[in-house]
Amino acid sequence: YRELHTFELQAPTRLIEWARGSRVCVAGYGQSGGNEILQLIPPPSLQAKETQGLCPERDFKVECGGFSKHPVYSLKYVPDTSFLVTSGPPDSSVQVWQVSAEDSDVIKPVGTIVTENSTGQPWAKIATMSARAPWVLHGSTLDSVQITEVELRKNVYTAARRGGEELSGVAFLDPSTALLCCARGGLCVADLRQPRGSSQPVSRTAPPGDRWCMGTARPAQCTGTASEPVARLSSSGLLTLTDLRKASEPLASARARVPSPGSGTEFLCVSWAPALPGCLAVSGFDGTVQVYDTQGWDSSGREAEPTFVHRGHVLGGAGDPALVTAHTWHPQKARTLLSAATDGSLHIWDWVQPAGNC
Amino acid sequence: MPEIKVTPLGAGQDVGRSCILVSIAGKNVMLDCGMHMGYNDDRRFPDFSYITQNGRLTDFLDCVIISHFHLDHCGALPYFSEMVGYDGPIYMTHPTKAICPILLEDYRKITVDKKGETNFFTSQMIKDCMKKVVAVHLHQTVQVDEELEIKAYYAGHVLGAAMFQIKVGCESVVYTGDYNMTPDRHLGAAWIDKCRPDLLISESTYATTIRDSKRCRERDFLKKVHETVERGGKVLIPVFALGRAQELCILLETFWERMNLKAPIYFSTGLTEKANHYYKLFITWTNQKIRKTFVQRNMFEFKHIKAFDRAFADNPGPMVVFATPGMLHAGQSLQIFRKWAGNEKNMVIMPGYCVQGTVGHKILSGQRKLEMEGRQILEVKMQVEYMSFSAHADAKGIMQLIRQAEPRNVLLVHGEAKKMEFLKQKIEQEFHVSCYMPANGETTTIFTNPSIPVDISLGLLKREAAIGPVPDAKKPKLMHGTLLMKDNSFRLVSPEQALKELGLAEHQLRFTCRVHIQDPRKEHETVLRVYNHLKGVLKDYSVQHLPDGSITVESILIQATAHSEDQGTKVLLVSWTYQDEELGSYLTSLLKKGLPQSTA
Repeated sequence: YRELHTFELQAPTRLIEWARGSRVCVAGYGQSGGNEILQLIPPPSLQAKETQGLCPERDFKVECGGFSKHPVYSLKYVPDTSFLVTSGPPDSSVQVWQVSAEDSDVIKPVGTIVTENSTGQPWAKIATMSARAPWVLHGSTLDSVQITEVELRKNVYTAARRGGEELSGVAFLDPSTALLCCARGGLCVADLRQPRGSSQPVSRTAPPGDRWCMGTARPAQCTGTASEPVARLSSSGLLTLTDLRKASEPLASARARVPSPGSGTEFLCVSWAPALPGCLAVSGFDGTVQVYDTQGWDSSGREAEPTFVHRGHVLGGAGDPALVTAHTWHPQKARTLLSAATDGSLHIWDWVQPAGNC
Repeated sequence: MPEIKVTPLGAGQDVGRSCILVSIAGKNVMLDCGMHMGYNDDRRFPDFSYITQNGRLTDFLDCVIISHFHLDHCGALPYFSEMVGYDGPIYMTHPTKAICPILLEDYRKITVDKKGETNFFTSQMIKDCMKKVVAVHLHQTVQVDEELEIKAYYAGHVLGAAMFQIKVGCESVVYTGDYNMTPDRHLGAAWIDKCRPDLLISESTYATTIRDSKRCRERDFLKKVHETVERGGKVLIPVFALGRAQELCILLETFWERMNLKAPIYFSTGLTEKANHYYKLFITWTNQKIRKTFVQRNMFEFKHIKAFDRAFADNPGPMVVFATPGMLHAGQSLQIFRKWAGNEKNMVIMPGYCVQGTVGHKILSGQRKLEMEGRQILEVKMQVEYMSFSAHADAKGIMQLIRQAEPRNVLLVHGEAKKMEFLKQKIEQEFHVSCYMPANGETTTIFTNPSIPVDISLGLLKREAAIGPVPDAKKPKLMHGTLLMKDNSFRLVSPEQALKELGLAEHQLRFTCRVHIQDPRKEHETVLRVYNHLKGVLKDYSVQHLPDGSITVESILIQATAHSEDQGTKVLLVSWTYQDEELGSYLTSLLKKGLPQSTA
């Protein structure tokens, strides 16, 4: 490691989101209520370009917080606004909150976006974009995908019915296209220009019984399209990369080194490194986060060697071994990641590359 | 309603000096008397004129309590007691009493000798002030006077730090001072019993902080020291005589042992003896592990750490030196610093806060060219690092303490109002208690609900127990008695006994009500009608027709007379005592409705 910071949150989180001004947000997902949403200011060593070693301040500061009665499974900031949205059991509704760090340190709930027939549905997957207006794309099944304008909570788009397959992730590709990933592995692209547009399936995947999730790279500033293909991760460790322009055939695929049987599919997470081309990270199988270099992968589906494995959460302590719930890359610092686990730990780590690329 | 008033004179909503005034059941207590390290003028002292404009402080205050020896909690004590004027008792724990004067004298030296200030306390004042100190033991109840008692609890944080419970009758306040809920290498964690105070005053400096794990901090510290020593450099660690120094020593000693390192580690002369002396003296104040190993081996007699001699500073080769004073403002640490500053292989690690104006503060702010006495310029090429190992409670720790003590109200000091709203809500939601955050000079009033014990006379108890069905143990039972307050005691007695004791005669109140009834018949026939009516309606009551023509319902008397002017109207006189008010009113309204037509 070059850097390693470990923190202990009062309650474990299953999301780590970046906000304006290098803020980091985490939230509790306990079933018994009293969950806290915390917006944190990371230690200066994380904010600076150069690592400073011994810094006067090495701690996270809670900048503001809110209370949620329901578990928070997903949280997204609405860019260019002071809103954030959350979702979680027991239904597919989306809660809207307002952050006003200047006036007070409380994140206030301001409303709920209720979807029809929302009770009994799995929790909504969400994505936000503010290109045309502050929008939140949300849905729990292919049937129920909608876009709602956040401030007035008005519906802007509803996807045409396409079957009730459960979704595992949604993302905006650009202001007029959304990408939907089904839990069973299929990908659909939806055209948002029509208020009731339809979504086209673009790819299906083979092994039945597996659960899938996806990771997309943020669109590059100049080209407007993502620099990386869409990555999908299955609960048995299979990773496929798909270029949406030629979606029928996967670009590459490999198998991650994961224990089997896996520890469930709750916390599967795959994400691209914003500053290291071709690098992605995978977590959710055990107490580790694995980093892979996908450059040089072919379509064989062979087992790939991880470039680095973060084991910090495994060495946690007594009791049940911790499971990594979420990880995220630092937007600027190339090899810095944050990861959280079921034991409440939150790590910031930066590894040293012994030799070779990535 | 009885109330507790709290006014922070410092540390209301800022970090700096702590000084809190508490008024509880007529007693006035000052908690801590700290100095603000950032100011150079009178702003560094709390505003004592707030307490009383013209009266004497000694008359107004019942006692002063100091939680621990950090200057932001005791720094203004000599000024307060000798220059402003206070002769009453000052309470603190034994280690605090031993260490306080050393730090105060040290600070006085910098301020007066180095900075040349004049409005400051003298060495003699420090001595005179300490003469007023009464030292207390942990968990020892100290009677300040007949009504006020205090008790100290272990707070962790630094050697001798305590949380204090202040109790008058059944109202109590707990003041935490600075505390730490996680044990470290040489101190244990704070602990308090379920004393359920009316108010808990807690510091909240680190409430919004999520601390980097100690292991990571230590790992980085050791890495830096190791790297410097490996490349042949020298590491200087300026420390105060007591405090984090011991923690770092234990840490280095363990690391050196594990890594089998040979470079020497030195501890300033005087420091080792003093530290050893105090820790041996106050061994009960250190943590469990140290106490246990102390039997086999004195934790503070180190294998790899030796006493320093001034000449060693010129020795070639790597070494680590702990030297006082902590802010590099004078003495040995400054001397060593001047010798080593020019070599970039060397490193200085500042382990704590540095006051403005000291060399420590300057180099931490980034200054690399310092002006020394005699106009000499010192170029600082050595690496400057800062490592904070201070031990305060974070949000989780505060919640833990509240859970342990179970206060009815919580008051937070040492934080910014805007940034504490979230913590306030968190506390209110989880524990359903009110949470207050006053600013400096702002008085918070907390209403208490003290229980007042009352003795009940045996006779009354027996009598009340005999009436009615067997009382249900879980349901409250209503009792009637008279409360006598005499000579500071409360007694509940029967009314008869109360009258007897007070030498009063009992008065009887009797009500008589007139009810008009239209009935042309003779009086005794009317009476019969009334009797039959009542007998029929009031089946559960004893209704009797007496030979003298009157009717009794329980103890209520009803008599009938003819109206003086109108023979057709009969006047019923219904008479009852005060005790039968309810039945009497009921009877009256019943009779007013008139008699039923058919009567036998």
